[in-house]
Amino acid sequence: MEQKLRQEAKALLEQNKVDWIIGFEPGSLKFTATPLITRDKNDTERLIINPFIVNNLADFLTGIKGRVGIVAKGCDSRSIVSLIQDNKVAREDIVILAVPCLGLIDLAKIERLVDKDRDELDDITREEDKVIIKVDGQKKEFAINQTLFDHCIACELPTPQEYDILLGEPRPPAPELEVSGQNIEKLKETTPGERWEFWQNEFSRCIRCYACRNACPACFCQRCFVEETEPQWVMPVPRWQDNLIFQVVRNIHVAGRCTDCGECERVCPVNIPLRSLTREMYDIVDELFQFKSGMDKEAQPLMTHYEQEEAEDLFR
Amino acid sequence: MTQQSEWEPKLLGFLCRWCSYAGADLAGTSRKKYPANIRAIKVPCSSRVDSLFIIKALRLGFDGVLVSGCHPGDCHYLTGNYRARRRIAITKKFLEYLGVEPERIQASWVSASEGGKFAEVVTEVTGDLKKVGPNQLFAERKLAKEN
Repeated sequence: MEQKLRQEAKALLEQNKVDWIIGFEPGSLKFTATPLITRDKNDTERLIINPFIVNNLADFLTGIKGRVGIVAKGCDSRSIVSLIQDNKVAREDIVILAVPCLGLIDLAKIERLVDKDRDELDDITREEDKVIIKVDGQKKEFAINQTLFDHCIACELPTPQEYDILLGEPRPPAPELEVSGQNIEKLKETTPGERWEFWQNEFSRCIRCYACRNACPACFCQRCFVEETEPQWVMPVPRWQDNLIFQVVRNIHVAGRCTDCGECERVCPVNIPLRSLTREMYDIVDELFQFKSGMDKEAQPLMTHYEQEEAEDLFR
Repeated sequence: MTQQSEWEPKLLGFLCRWCSYAGADLAGTSRKKYPANIRAIKVPCSSRVDSLFIIKALRLGFDGVLVSGCHPGDCHYLTGNYRARRRIAITKKFLEYLGVEPERIQASWVSASEGGKFAEVVTEVTGDLKKVGPNQLFAERKLAKEN
């Protein structure tokens, strides 16, 4: 798959079909990948595909001028489709190099499983539905779902639907929603007061670094409401009230664009369980309006479209 | 003689200038009785109301928010209220999930000729808010983890 990607990417640049290639190269730390954005055809030799290509590359599309060849996993492709729906990028300007994704490995989970820091691990390999970790000369095996990100376990689209070049065998979706929705179900069993207190505790940790917003491909506003000063909607000081308002309103603003790709939760430096918000919003949108973000590039964006009769029970 | 003053909920109303705001006027001119708990803000259309306004109102201490616009099909701008409907629906559901009492976010369709309905809606909403009590959502409390 990697070889094919390198060839295709090189050919795209050589034939001047695209101006840029966005993909992944090995990161500076063990078991990491870092985004590679290049116009140089020799750089394509560094492109990789492995279970650590965590970033959602669609985030870079809105910042780049010209035609782009982009490496996309299923979730990235949904974000790209969502951007096409919103007219943020033109379909003809992008070449999607589709990666049938096996799921991404969450290093934090691995660290917890083997009780070692990631630097102490010798190797992590994947075989079918097992992950084998080499540590201290020993081999340890784990079931794949123990090691994947929660949003990968819930993945509804491992292979992009919308693509130009497919780099491997397509994979059928096998979402295990019960496993990935555990946190939300637990929260829903509590009283409203307890839920509010839970979020209050979580957001009292928030340092308002805006990593969630910056990593989010759906958050493409040139100016975010949190930076408005007249009126000043939220105070710049990270107090829990304003942190909560920021995240809630961010979630509402990206409703119908958010594909529950889990980037916000992954990049959060204080580990706020943001996917418990995005997933719920994803489900609310699906339940009320039968809308799944990023599935159909011809579909009207959620908030510009309507049906004559819907959600009437909420109105007096 | 002193009177025990009872707590009264504060309700913020976003009223569409083409219908509900005129409806509120009509309720006044036809001398309908309704609680004085509502503070009305005139908006050009119910779809002008961003979810941010609703949450900010709760943050500022309003006990409830009412968004009122034209009946479906009657929007002055043809489709504004349909869009408002989607936005308010997700806001309400999402805030309910977070732990906000659903009674605090209310929405209604009131046309310019429905002074009576406006009075009814405000009466009902005020009654609901009295049941759920004062808005303590954003009050400073001791966090469980700091204890």
